[in-house]
Amino acid sequence: MEPDRTSCRTVKVIGVLLILEVIGLIAIGVFEFSQVHWRGLDLESPQHQAVEVGVFALFIPSGVLTLLAALSFLFLRRRGWLLAAIAQGLSLAVSLWLYSLFQPGYVYPIMAYCVLIILYLNSRDVRVAFLPRRGSGASYEG
Amino acid sequence: MKADLASTALLRRFEPVIRSTSGDRFYPMDVEPYVRACSLWVQKPGEEAVCVVPDGKLSLDRLSQQPLDEAGAVHFLKLSDVEDIGPDSRGGRLRLFRRRAKDRKEVRQAFRAGRGRLARVGYFSRFVDALYSIALLARGRVPGESAAAASVTYERIMAEHENYRYHGRVLRQDGWIVLQYWLFYPFNNWRSGFFGANDHEADWEKVFVYLSETEEGEISPEWVAYAAHNYTGDNLRRRWDDPEVEKVGEHPVIYVGAGSHASYYAPGEYLTELTLPLPKPMARTTSSIRSFWETKLGQYVGDGGEGGGYFSIPFVDYARGDGLSVGEGGDRAWDEPRLLADPIPDWVSGYRGLWGLYARDPFEGEDAPAGPMYNRDKSVNRAWYDPVGWAGLDKVPPPTETLQAILEQRADIISRCGALRAEIDDKSRRLKKLGTELAAIRDRSHLDAPYEEGARLVAELSGELDRLRARLATDEAVSESLEEYADRLRAGERDPARAHISRAHRPASEDELRVSRVAEGWAAISVSLMLISFVGIAMFEREHLISMLVFSIAFFAFVEAGFRGRLVNLVSSANIGLAVVATLIIIYEFFWQLVVAAVLVVGLYVLWDNVRELRR
Repeated sequence: MEPDRTSCRTVKVIGVLLILEVIGLIAIGVFEFSQVHWRGLDLESPQHQAVEVGVFALFIPSGVLTLLAALSFLFLRRRGWLLAAIAQGLSLAVSLWLYSLFQPGYVYPIMAYCVLIILYLNSRDVRVAFLPRRGSGASYEG
Repeated sequence: MKADLASTALLRRFEPVIRSTSGDRFYPMDVEPYVRACSLWVQKPGEEAVCVVPDGKLSLDRLSQQPLDEAGAVHFLKLSDVEDIGPDSRGGRLRLFRRRAKDRKEVRQAFRAGRGRLARVGYFSRFVDALYSIALLARGRVPGESAAAASVTYERIMAEHENYRYHGRVLRQDGWIVLQYWLFYPFNNWRSGFFGANDHEADWEKVFVYLSETEEGEISPEWVAYAAHNYTGDNLRRRWDDPEVEKVGEHPVIYVGAGSHASYYAPGEYLTELTLPLPKPMARTTSSIRSFWETKLGQYVGDGGEGGGYFSIPFVDYARGDGLSVGEGGDRAWDEPRLLADPIPDWVSGYRGLWGLYARDPFEGEDAPAGPMYNRDKSVNRAWYDPVGWAGLDKVPPPTETLQAILEQRADIISRCGALRAEIDDKSRRLKKLGTELAAIRDRSHLDAPYEEGARLVAELSGELDRLRARLATDEAVSESLEEYADRLRAGERDPARAHISRAHRPASEDELRVSRVAEGWAAISVSLMLISFVGIAMFEREHLISMLVFSIAFFAFVEAGFRGRLVNLVSSANIGLAVVATLIIIYEFFWQLVVAAVLVVGLYVLWDNVRELRR
């Protein structure tokens, strides 16, 4: 089921935003990993820096889902909406959980970006663009 | 006598065809043999119920006498066979038990519920439903033997003299001729027979046909209204030419709900939800948040939760029409109707009590209904004294009067426009005079006070003139619309048949009925399973209580949403919740940075806007 022309732009914008999110996640991950002196690790230290950076790996599943959703959007498949929404929810849930444990600095930009994407995904224009057309038999659920 | 014959002829001409559901055991009958089989009881406040007329001694004439009446007393009938069969004696109990078992077996053979009602509604509704069932144990309710006893009595009555009869009334109101068909069923076994909300002895249902009459005396049917539960208003009625109104000749077809005897236009399974509204302050708050979310933030809200009711108890009315049909072309023909003509029979007007067992149910669902003329609280039933208003037809003139009504309304508006124009002219002249006076005294220090007073008067008059002109413009537009409407009617055009319906009661679609056994099973066990898992977590996982509770709720919600095809809604709601929490955290952590950023953004925007203006 392909979207009509008017909603193509919206779909592509979401795709690009999701790609940017994946790039951002990778950049943060690389930066955080490069900051750790892996040879002189001290797990007893109160900073737990290595652990904080290690748990960043929890973003890998949501990152993969985001990438899949982004590709889905860029190839104009409507079904990407649910995938994107699940990915954002997962990222946000991981961020909030990490915030409650270590409050690592990298969760804030991720949280802020996810909030914006969630609001955009739930905005009326976007939701309407993804609603099944009557009589088409298309599934909104994907 | 002649009037009675004419009424009977009219009633018979448009009498409905009822199509019941296979498995239903009770059909419309005459009240007389039912009353003969009953005893009359009185329940006075704070006292035990007293039998005032024993079974076998009661008749329609005696019914209206209402002995031992006093403040707070409730008169009610009791189907005598419950006592005759004798639940107090061991043999009687056994007989009733066997009878119940036999009835259930017969119903099971004739009726399959199909997709369970619980699988059609949400988690909260199922939880509230469980509470409702538990509450039924504490509330007054019709005893389990009653349906079996009623069944025995009904079979006996039918064996003595099989009858299928309605009680008819013809009255004129607001230019309409209303044919009232009052259908009396000896028992409502919706709960015990068909997983419904209630059981009660006796059931009064109604179907009205609205006729118009030309000056030449020609009669034509225009509307019908079928009663379903306690619904009233526009959504109840259908225009005669509405395709949804099935007819056999001039006889409208009614699909009767199994056990409940609610009347429907189309065959099918109807989800009837008892909606529990939120408390007012909470409903207001929810509504405000919803409005802000939708209008200010431009967010999608879907169509749920309108009207402040968020929890509902689901029941299914099975009106399949695959059982016995009575009426034109049906399995049985109607007997001669019992007329409720003027003077109204005493048993209708004089007996204000209940037509079956008074179960003392605080929600009244298990109490028998009152007669056609009264409500359970003894007030007069609106459907009796205002059948036109009951179906929302009071604002609709009969076709023969419609054109006249339009022309009269237009004449009224034109006359009002004339008066408005005269008033506008007068006030406009006054305003101009005041304006010139104001111009003359402007900048005269000794006339400051009159100037201020004059300015106030000018502002007031100007505002009033504005309102009058707006009203005139609206009236002129309405007048034009009325003229066009009249032209359309003269050309033989009619309004759309369903324009008055805002929310039609529809049977469940094929898609909704198609569901796997797994979904049904899940619907049946999910609430209990969730409660048991909560107890298990509380007992064995106290260390991780919060996280385990969150995880189990998320699991149940996810499975539930998957079965009900609401995964999108669930993910969307969960995301919004997480986003709100994340936003609050960001505001908490970076409050001053956010303030500085906001000020910077505003400053840059103003700068950009001003520079852009300079460059133009």
